[in-house]
Amino acid sequence: MSYQAAFQISATGMAVEKLRLDLTAANLANMNQAAPTAAAAYQPLRLVSQARPLAFAQQFSLAGGGAEVKAVVPQAVAPRLVYEPGHPYADAKGMVAYPGVDHTAEMLNVNLALRSYEANLAAFTAARTMAARTLEIGGNQ
Amino acid sequence: MSIEAIGAIGAVDTVQPLGALGAPAAPVAAPGFADWIAHEVGQVDATLATSENDLRRLATGQVQNLHEVMIHMEEAKLSFQLLAQVRNRLLDAYQEVMRMQV
Repeated sequence: MSYQAAFQISATGMAVEKLRLDLTAANLANMNQAAPTAAAAYQPLRLVSQARPLAFAQQFSLAGGGAEVKAVVPQAVAPRLVYEPGHPYADAKGMVAYPGVDHTAEMLNVNLALRSYEANLAAFTAARTMAARTLEIGGNQ
Repeated sequence: MSIEAIGAIGAVDTVQPLGALGAPAAPVAAPGFADWIAHEVGQVDATLATSENDLRRLATGQVQNLHEVMIHMEEAKLSFQLLAQVRNRLLDAYQEVMRMQV
């Protein structure tokens, strides 16, 4: 396996984790946006990723193909209803619908994406160090 | 009794003796070392140009993912280091030859 293929595998993982962080940031940004109706409330987005299917030429090598984004799925969670009679979006009972974003889970997601990105970066750095060390073969120490 | 199965052996007579065959075709000349090194230098130059182009697009805000740019830069750096190492080995070999007593 060439080193560029190893770099690309890490790059696919980093792209997936970057998108995961982006989606989590979008969920956090929309956490407190009230909606006129419960049905119109923002639905938190979740990332579904999968192993990248191997190309035909890659079927014969032992290397994996990296990761890729399969879908971005809005979650149909129940909106959070808050009693705010003075709010312009309040319904007849004085309840306002806020998106059902789970703050704790989103913060965990942030950490997960960050650590996974760092793990991909560590793998990339290891591959790069390996390549750089290989160039030292036979050199003047 | 005719033996038809081996009748075709008569066709061997028409085969020309080996000496009459033309000289073997001249082997295809392998690309010279100069061509090879020029090709490799060209490839390294292409990677450097790619990473420079990436940097320009990053500066103008057309790049979505930063890590691709960095990885391309790393690839360019590694290929340049490989080229430099090849040059060092060649220079070593040349100097070794020049030091040889005749």
